Amino acid sequence: MESSILKCENLCKSFGKKTILNNVSLEINSKDILGFIGPNGAGKTTTIKLILGLQNITRGKVEINGFDIEKQFTKAIEQVGAIVENPDLYMYLSGYENLKLISNLYKGIDEKRIQEVIKLVKLENRIKDKVSKYSLGMRQRLGIAQAILHKPALLILDEPTNGLDPEGIREMRELLLDLSEKENMAILISSHNLAELDNLCNKICIIKNGEIIETSNIVDIKQESNTSYNKFEVNDTTKIKEILPNSIIINKNEFKLDIQKEQIPNIVKKMVEEDILIYEIKREEKSLEDAFFEKTGGNIIE
Amino acid sequence: MKKQEVISLNSLIKNELIKIFKKKGIYITLFIVLAFVILTNCIYKYFYNTGSYSFYNENYIENLKKELSTLDPSKPSDTSMYIDLKTEIDIFELMKKYDKNAWQRDIISSKVANYLKEKNTYLYIKDKDEIKSNEIDNKIKEILLKLEKDDWKYFAQEELKRAEDNIKELQKQKEETIDKQQIQSLQASIEIAQIDLVIAQYRINQDIKYGNDYMNRALSRYQEESKNIQQLENNKDNLKFEEKKQYNDSIAQKEINKYILDNKVDVNKTDDLRGILSSFFNEYGLFIIVMVIMIAGTIVSEEFNKGTIKLLLIKPYSRNKILLSKFITVFIMIAFSLIAILGMELIVGGIIFGFESLSIPIIEYNFNTNTLDTINVFVYLFTSVVEKLPIIILLATLSFAFSTIFTNSAVAIALPLLGYMGSDIINLLATKFNVQFLKFFVTLNWDFSQYAYGQLPLMEGLTIQFSSIICFIYFLVMIVTTFIIFKKKNIKNI
Repeated sequence: MESSILKCENLCKSFGKKTILNNVSLEINSKDILGFIGPNGAGKTTTIKLILGLQNITRGKVEINGFDIEKQFTKAIEQVGAIVENPDLYMYLSGYENLKLISNLYKGIDEKRIQEVIKLVKLENRIKDKVSKYSLGMRQRLGIAQAILHKPALLILDEPTNGLDPEGIREMRELLLDLSEKENMAILISSHNLAELDNLCNKICIIKNGEIIETSNIVDIKQESNTSYNKFEVNDTTKIKEILPNSIIINKNEFKLDIQKEQIPNIVKKMVEEDILIYEIKREEKSLEDAFFEKTGGNIIE
Repeated sequence: MKKQEVISLNSLIKNELIKIFKKKGIYITLFIVLAFVILTNCIYKYFYNTGSYSFYNENYIENLKKELSTLDPSKPSDTSMYIDLKTEIDIFELMKKYDKNAWQRDIISSKVANYLKEKNTYLYIKDKDEIKSNEIDNKIKEILLKLEKDDWKYFAQEELKRAEDNIKELQKQKEETIDKQQIQSLQASIEIAQIDLVIAQYRINQDIKYGNDYMNRALSRYQEESKNIQQLENNKDNLKFEEKKQYNDSIAQKEINKYILDNKVDVNKTDDLRGILSSFFNEYGLFIIVMVIMIAGTIVSEEFNKGTIKLLLIKPYSRNKILLSKFITVFIMIAFSLIAILGMELIVGGIIFGFESLSIPIIEYNFNTNTLDTINVFVYLFTSVVEKLPIIILLATLSFAFSTIFTNSAVAIALPLLGYMGSDIINLLATKFNVQFLKFFVTLNWDFSQYAYGQLPLMEGLTIQFSSIICFIYFLVMIVTTFIIFKKKNIKNI
């Protein structure tokens, strides 16, 4: 059986009368990569701060590896490495000095481990430079390096792709997959962009206005709905809806249709009869976003 | 505390120190302080004049001469101005012959000056009186001859004679009157005149040449304080607190200056290494406090401002321990600042003045035993720093508290500094108007040097125990509040 690394039960947080979080429950097991999705201001960072003990929990409970974050803080927090909001580093120190500072705070981090982590985040060449000279992507990687130095069971990353270019995002994704595999840690990663987490997470949790509105396994989502669809390019899509009620019109020349391979000749025949010119029929994989739209009906993240 | 916890606290403190010493700011501050230490020593060495007669210089006299040439002594409106200027120029012309610190200048500026003015008055006033002016001129010449011969004893004898005559005169008056009150006041005058007599005798017996040296300064100070004591002693039993302080101060100064005269050592000398070290806190207290406040005021707030506090708070240490490590670091930096500035002064002062002066002890009057205490310079330095330590610690704690509570470095640095600078005014107000409730205010209590050597405190009713309790309460309130607030703090978005 998979062991539970992080368990949030009915987390509530309010400042005065204003409720920020309402009954947020989460669970992460070992080897999970949970995508924590929500628009800006939905309560992602607050949830993470509650998990990390940075803010007081109004109601509810957080357990990390079985330790309560409020009652057994040091034992619980020892299991976690995290970046909250920005990669907070000492700008006037070099990358190496930053890691050295962190390593002083844990038992049993030797020089070998520091070098290993530096190699893992691919910062070997710039590690002696001052952090103030780093690019944002490098800072994110150094942030991850300091978070995983003590081999935590759970890694929490708050919007690690924020401000990164597509290339940076791809690198980050590779790094995280690498970590989950090599370091064997569960990862909670928050983002306001579902598409970024495609092919990375195995679990998705969607938060909106301080409430969890959806929690699912990606495998389940993709299995539930068919994983792929056909895209048609034609001269005119105005009459399509009449012929094919199940289709989704994209624009004047394109529409989507979720059908089995065997039905294609039939549909083509129907369209030809209606004098529609067919330019292209393409099979496309469904993105995580598409799968979700389908499941929840409409754009949930706006 | 368990051994393991001490170790973990150690690594937190170690990290704090790394963070401080990796910053450029601390080195810039140290450099600036060093520059000021050098400047202070240079000022003492090259510009510090203990009241010599170098007040006159060529330029000044040139200006006077120019001004003189514009005046016409025959015009009644210019006459008095002309006489003053002419006298001043004459004094300078006479002084020029002698060394800057020569005793002759002293006589010229006091005794001869009067004659010169008299002479000039007779010369330039409307109805000239040449005979009188010649008479005076002869007198001046006589004096100048004595000056030239370096015959200072002539003047000392004259002083002695004047004092004797004065006493005789007063005694005669006293015998003639029957009014009790007048007898009493005459008796007081006689006692004061006797002091003059004693001083004049002392000068002759001890061969103390007139001039501008420490022996003369000590002698005149001794004379002055003896008179002060004499005046206050008459109604010794119903002195006000402030007067009592003055009285005590006079006693201490009288005894210390007597020590200087008897031992021929200038223990009041300020322009050497020993002198600067003996007033170490007065010279460098502000620098120490600025350095300490700069560290205490940023050590928490900067982490909040830069967001790195989150890095620290998600490490396996309780919040109390993290804050404690920072607070201990502040104390380490207090020690560091003290040692650094002291070291700078020792080295810079040693190079500029030499170390010889350190062998001369510090003399303090002890009111508990009513004797003079002879104290080694370093022992004195150590105790005087310890006496001022509550000021440093309380200001650092205040700054640390602001730094934590408001997470704003500017507030945490500026307010305690303003408080320190304003403390003198508060103390002055409290003591001047004897505002009793201000007794409970910390600034009247935090300077423990007020209790040293059994002195009377700043304000009536203050005791060392009372001050200790007040300081401790302020400290405790600040630090407990800070720890509670830090523990409960929600780390908001940064």
